[in-house]
Amino acid sequence: MKYLSIILLVWLGMGRTGTGLYACKNAKISLYSSAPIEDIKAASTTGASVFNAATGELDFSVATQSFQFPKSLMQEHFNSDYMESDKFPRSTFKGKIEEHIDVTKDGTYPVKATGELTVHGVTQMRTIPGTITVKNGEISMTAEFMVKCADHHIEIPRLVFHNIAESIKINVSATYTAH
Amino acid sequence: MKKYIFLLALITISTGLLAQKTTTQKTNSADSLLNAMSGDDANAPVVIFKSSRLILSQTTETVKKHNLNFLVIHRFGDFAGKQGGGQLYYGLDDIADVYIGFEYGVTNNLNIDIGRTTIGGLADLELKYALLHQTRNGSSPVAITLLGEAGVRPYGKYSTFGDRTSYMAQVMIARQFGSALSLQVTPTYVTNSADAPFLPTGAESKYFALLTTARIKLTKHMGFIVDYGHPFSSFRTTANGFHDPLGFGLEMETGGHVFTINVTNARAVDEINYLNNTQSNYSKGQYRIGFTISRMFDFNHK
Repeated sequence: MKYLSIILLVWLGMGRTGTGLYACKNAKISLYSSAPIEDIKAASTTGASVFNAATGELDFSVATQSFQFPKSLMQEHFNSDYMESDKFPRSTFKGKIEEHIDVTKDGTYPVKATGELTVHGVTQMRTIPGTITVKNGEISMTAEFMVKCADHHIEIPRLVFHNIAESIKINVSATYTAH
Repeated sequence: MKKYIFLLALITISTGLLAQKTTTQKTNSADSLLNAMSGDDANAPVVIFKSSRLILSQTTETVKKHNLNFLVIHRFGDFAGKQGGGQLYYGLDDIADVYIGFEYGVTNNLNIDIGRTTIGGLADLELKYALLHQTRNGSSPVAITLLGEAGVRPYGKYSTFGDRTSYMAQVMIARQFGSALSLQVTPTYVTNSADAPFLPTGAESKYFALLTTARIKLTKHMGFIVDYGHPFSSFRTTANGFHDPLGFGLEMETGGHVFTINVTNARAVDEINYLNNTQSNYSKGQYRIGFTISRMFDFNHK
């Protein structure tokens, strides 16, 4: 009886493996905005991402508060004035890669991910081009795209010191481990 | 027999679970995995106030590392009453007190401030330390900042150097409620080395005081402030002609600058001065317009 239960448990557990899930919890997400007084750059190295190689599903999530700016006042304004991180703590992407990638073969694959990009609580359907690299069984991914402040209802106050551009360039890079 | 029924039931349930899993698991497990990895965002400190100074009170906020905050705090003359009115352009022709100072962030939590104020020619050196930050997840419900001030009056007639000095210690306790209301209470201890200056003998030179302040957010960049102080001193009573300092103000933040325009009965800017000696009274028209300008310089280069 005891053994049977164990076998059952193992069987149940087996269902969990081999789903082709890959995870990354230190995805680097950086933003860049050219501005009249000085360019604004910031990066987070604690983005989370899950990639399902079997279905092509690709999710990202990053905490707004985790973006580090060179200047502390910029960081405060980013959180309080632009992104309102107390109301909208995270930016996310939930999508799917259109191409099927054979993760057992080394190579560099240009891909397109289509899905919902949520920034500042506003969701937009986006198709984002990127590159997947498979090398010795390790999967990594990079992407570069623009986010328009207006698309996500991010107001640019007229009377501010750290003025920013209307479009922000986002760079994403993630290296995955099998889960 | 019972055993086999139990076993059969178990198998049925688990098969059922497996079947269900194959259809929904993929998205669900990816979701839950993402959530599990998406750590705790709530540990970041809450920014309770937009600036380090309100009207009377300082705040629990510190100037961040390698930042320098330049401050000009100005109080005009009496708006109305005998010393005010139209002839003196409602006090704007007059200066009650001007404070010019700097606050520097040694670390994110430790500040050194220096400044000088007109009343008594008081020059001050302050150390400010943020002991505790309020967090979103409630692990720390309040922010606590300690402030110590040493003031010296370099000019004027005093018998010893020691008599020129006054000291103040504060424990600032603040909390933001929701996103619009910030409250702070500040137990304060003031000690003047000699008899309280500019007051008759008999005025207590050492006493406790309490400052309370509220900031209500009006827009993203503007807030309304009420600031009140009360010295627990048996000498500083209404009967002896003293009045508790009380101020109202509008704070505007334009990124890098914070500008506060206010009305107070207190003439003095420095805590030691306005707690020692506020004899001006709203009902006699002895209130004034004042402003605070704060400009932040950042010396972090990357």
